[in-house]
Amino acid sequence: MTTASPLPSNFSATSTLPPGATAPSSLPFIPQYSFPPFFTLQPVASTRSSQLSSWSTHIQSYCQHNRIFSLTLVDALNTPLFHNAQIHRRLNLRDAKVILAWMASAEGGNRAEFISTSTTKSKKAASGEEDGGKCWIYWRRPEEWAAALEEWVDRTGQKGTVLTLYEIVEGDASLKEEFWNMDEDLLRKSLAVCVRRGKAQIFGGEGSEGVKFF
Amino acid sequence: MDHRRRTPGLSSLSSRGLQNHHYTSHGAALRTRNAQSLETQLSVFQSLLHNFALTHSKDIRANPAFRAEFARMCSALNIDFLASSYHRDNKGAEAKGGESIWAQLLGGSVNDFYFNLGVLIVEECRATRSENGGLISVSDLKTRILKGRGIGGGMEVSDDDIKRAVDSLAPLGSCFSIMKIGHRSLIRSVPKELNTDQSTVLEAIQVLGYVTVSMLQINLSWERPRAHAVVEDLMADSLVWVDTQAGENEYWSPAFITAATSAT
Repeated sequence: MTTASPLPSNFSATSTLPPGATAPSSLPFIPQYSFPPFFTLQPVASTRSSQLSSWSTHIQSYCQHNRIFSLTLVDALNTPLFHNAQIHRRLNLRDAKVILAWMASAEGGNRAEFISTSTTKSKKAASGEEDGGKCWIYWRRPEEWAAALEEWVDRTGQKGTVLTLYEIVEGDASLKEEFWNMDEDLLRKSLAVCVRRGKAQIFGGEGSEGVKFF
Repeated sequence: MDHRRRTPGLSSLSSRGLQNHHYTSHGAALRTRNAQSLETQLSVFQSLLHNFALTHSKDIRANPAFRAEFARMCSALNIDFLASSYHRDNKGAEAKGGESIWAQLLGGSVNDFYFNLGVLIVEECRATRSENGGLISVSDLKTRILKGRGIGGGMEVSDDDIKRAVDSLAPLGSCFSIMKIGHRSLIRSVPKELNTDQSTVLEAIQVLGYVTVSMLQINLSWERPRAHAVVEDLMADSLVWVDTQAGENEYWSPAFITAATSAT
């Protein structure tokens, strides 16, 4: 599966799957995914809130399964995530935005975060329509990633050694870890959490950083 | 005279008293013997049942079909093992230490099983209430329990188990009940009665998978406003979900989410 994004690699949805990953067809979709009305945002408030949380679960498990760390909504609409070809139902962009906005809210557990286009290095493509089109999907929140990184460093006895960011996400040592092939910006975010907790320190300049865990 | 006359009277009285006494004591002896033999029989029966339950307790817990048969046997013998665990039975003699027969026999595993299942059912109904408006199909519930998110979840249960467990919730005065729509059993966890129109629509959904307003108009020869009002009502209670991507709005019942999955 490809969430082909026209953006630079650090913003694209992950295109290289780790060796263990299987085709999306084997992903156990939640039962609601085959329920046609699931793709229409429900007008009744109580129903809608349950629908939103089901969507959140669905999006998180889909992204986790496919190692997707960020989504570009416009492109993602045509992937199985938002389009169930079997029952010919798809989510429209407006509804998808509503769902992600809900996920990004405290009510939705901050499981998503919109990436504002102005701060990105991407070409300012149609900024009006683009607004809110890209977002992080936090099937692990940066704090949780930070904890996972700390745990991994501890487990593999790499405390005190300087690791490059590349080593952490692309290296053989982390091949079996969930953060393997992680988006570099998300990694920076997570490491920043470690730094704030006083568990790590980052050296070097942009592009060639090293990190040391204590 | 008086004295003489009275003497036989008195002696006859006393002899009758003696007779009475004999009868009573004999009766009492008979009764105790009877009771004793009954008690022996009961204890033999109990120990047999005990052994049976012990040797098969694994099966009782693991195999839904077997459990249903076992429960049927017990109800045929007029033993309500669900009731026996919270009524401290008045035949008290058997219940040493205040435990019920069943809790004593099976270490609580059978009646606890149904209580646990009851708790799981309540949990699942609560969890899905906003999704399905408090109406869930038994088969849907079964798959959810099998997937088991709650404590003690992930077990295989039969329809019969679920019926028993829902019945066991009755003393709580809660509104859990099993209702039939078409040939499907649904568990209702909200104190709401459906009116005839609503049940008719749900029944149609169960047969056809979904309904539209015009389908209701044609098949039930309802006026359009009537059909509209019914689906709007059902939607307000989360009992149906609307799908706007099929031309005319389709209304689906979330009580059959898993059923819809297997059908398509």
